[in-house]
Amino acid sequence: MEKSIETIWKEGFLKNNALIAPKVNNIYNKKSIDIVEKFKRMYRINIIAIFLFAFILLPITMVTDMVYMGIPMFFLFMTIAYYAIKFKNKLEKINKNTNSYDYLKTFDNWTKEMRSFNMKLSRYLYPYVFLSMFAGFWLGGFGKPVQGDQFVTYLLGEFPNMIVVFGFPLMLLLVMLFIVVLLAIIGPKIGEWDLKIGYGRILKRLDSLLIDMEELRTSH
Amino acid sequence: MSSDYYTSFILPYSGIIIKICRAYTDTQEGFEDYYQEVCLQIWKSKDNFKEDSKWSTWIYRLTLNVCLTLLKKKKNNKQHQVSEELLPDTSEETKAFSDESLNQLYEAIRQLSEIDRGVILLYLEEKSYQEIAEIIGTNPNNIGVRIKRIKERLKKLLIKNN
Repeated sequence: MEKSIETIWKEGFLKNNALIAPKVNNIYNKKSIDIVEKFKRMYRINIIAIFLFAFILLPITMVTDMVYMGIPMFFLFMTIAYYAIKFKNKLEKINKNTNSYDYLKTFDNWTKEMRSFNMKLSRYLYPYVFLSMFAGFWLGGFGKPVQGDQFVTYLLGEFPNMIVVFGFPLMLLLVMLFIVVLLAIIGPKIGEWDLKIGYGRILKRLDSLLIDMEELRTSH
Repeated sequence: MSSDYYTSFILPYSGIIIKICRAYTDTQEGFEDYYQEVCLQIWKSKDNFKEDSKWSTWIYRLTLNVCLTLLKKKKNNKQHQVSEELLPDTSEETKAFSDESLNQLYEAIRQLSEIDRGVILLYLEEKSYQEIAEIIGTNPNNIGVRIKRIKERLKKLLIKNN
């Protein structure tokens, strides 16, 4: 006669080796590797995206007569990519053969260093982007009349008493100065915010994992 | 998690955890991951345990919740990693127990829906309908009918798999 499922269940678990618990050691090992590997993947994609964007933007600005924006932006992206690769190489060097806590702690220090660099860079990056964009709009295409000069001529026609300094309306210079200073001040915040959009979730997971691990170490 | 805590509060109930984790995983590696995660969550959530229910009931509930969450995560990951889905699964299905009938029963259980797996495991652990409903978070009135239906399906699956 066929056994009922209740009998199979009871008899099956009567055998000695049916319920041997696996060893619970190095509990965070897999999680640590997963989190760092995921970050590495995202960081790699980010670097590729920076390169792609730089090489796509340059010809587009040439076609659209904004090459004076395209060239400085291209150099900017190349500089960012250069530092990102330097950081990536450092990340690859993190020793995997330590315990998961030390591994994650080293990774955490790396993220802190990277974030701090990103904040410093952002102080110059956003004003630079603004000035590049302004140059693109103001100077126009290669070998073509300067668009900004036409704009100043138009303004002088409308406001003959307007003060012009080195070919720029003073008001415009003051507004630009204000924007540049503002971007330099809030740049680090924008940089941090930008980083959070991309890596916020993973960095949060890293923090909570480290808190757990530290608690675990103190409870031993 | 201290080894004392594990030995005193989790290990005596490891049977419950093993039985449930086996129903939601089909490889040894997967099983060990789920087991470790459950132990970790028990330790992390220990302050949430209220004395109004038994420790074992709480472990059943938590283990099921962890397994369901991990299964959901696994499904989501598979959806994102389409290319990986196309690759053949290299992990071998585990013969977890020395008793062949039990292995077959687990194979059939794994073919049930996620909640039905939980219901039948609790039934086989001789939990009352009230307790099953409490752990699963459902109405106790239809538990009996549900178990009858699951058992019929299990029988069919066992015959089919054989």
